[in-house]
Amino acid sequence: MQSKFSDIELIEQTLQGNQAAYADLVKRHQRFVFTLAMRFTKTREDAEEVAQDSFIKAYRSLQSFQGQSKFSTWLYSIVYTTAMTFLRKRRLDTSSIDDANNHLQLENQSGGFKNDLAENKSRSYYVNQAIEQLMPDDAMIITLFYKGEQSLEEIAVTLGLEPNNVKVKLFRARQRLKEKLERNLKHEVSELI
Amino acid sequence: MNSIEEKLWNYLDGTCSPEEHEEISRLITTDQTYQQKYQELLAFNQELESMELDAPPIAFTYNVMEAIRTEEASKPLKASIDHRIIQAIAAFFIGTIAILLMIALTGNHAENVHATVQIPVKVQLPTLTGYFSGPVLKGFLFFDVVLALFLFDGYLRKKHTVVL
Repeated sequence: MQSKFSDIELIEQTLQGNQAAYADLVKRHQRFVFTLAMRFTKTREDAEEVAQDSFIKAYRSLQSFQGQSKFSTWLYSIVYTTAMTFLRKRRLDTSSIDDANNHLQLENQSGGFKNDLAENKSRSYYVNQAIEQLMPDDAMIITLFYKGEQSLEEIAVTLGLEPNNVKVKLFRARQRLKEKLERNLKHEVSELI
Repeated sequence: MNSIEEKLWNYLDGTCSPEEHEEISRLITTDQTYQQKYQELLAFNQELESMELDAPPIAFTYNVMEAIRTEEASKPLKASIDHRIIQAIAAFFIGTIAILLMIALTGNHAENVHATVQIPVKVQLPTLTGYFSGPVLKGFLFFDVVLALFLFDGYLRKKHTVVL
């Protein structure tokens, strides 16, 4: 059950030492934070790690939250930096086996297309699939705009960019997503025929 | 520079000016190309709006709170001590040492002061002069000086680390 208190009220309660209030905040935002983490990491295990780290970091620096922006905007900027740090670390750790991994991923992807042919997939499935194929930044902008209830200005704060820059990036991200969606659908149709 | 698609996205997102909005509305109703593209982008926009979020594991909130609780519990005791208590204890000791020093340094003059206090015969007051002179006082002062130097060294080291 969702808490009846606003984000700000829950933050105040948390700062007074009520940890249950922070648990309510986590419950309220966990789905979106986890989705954002998934846009970067692509696997559920890693996304869980990034999302968990983000909530812990947010808890640690809750006192520095000024309340000038929405709590969600502040939290998403933490998710963004945590995910970027995670990716950078992951790249360093796995640089030597990157090529092998990429090949495996491509093979799995094409295998997945064939295996899923018999399933009756919703349009939403294809949209999510196409988003997964986007670059993390593109996927994040689209998710923040459509599901995060974030304005262009708020997304700019989260990503540390200018609002006009975000507008251009959103336009390009949607174009790329549309192309991928069309290509995936065409591929499915040709496989079925 | 604005392509039809870009104009239509601005129209759909509501980021264009009222004049542009009016102009694009007119074009959608009159121009076949605009109308077709608008329908296409509108459908795509609706698909994006209906996209589903990923669900985290059921125990996600519990795991986060458990991690926070563990972190809180493992905080060093030093961090959870109220600094005011430390300062009060330090002030007490500094005050005591200062008073003892004053007594020690002005001891000779104090001997000349004659006070007449009537004490019952049975009450035996301890002879304090023995404690404030001789090797005991010197030892006490030496210990204080060493302790003060040790604390000062610790303070300087800490300050140096913060600067680095």
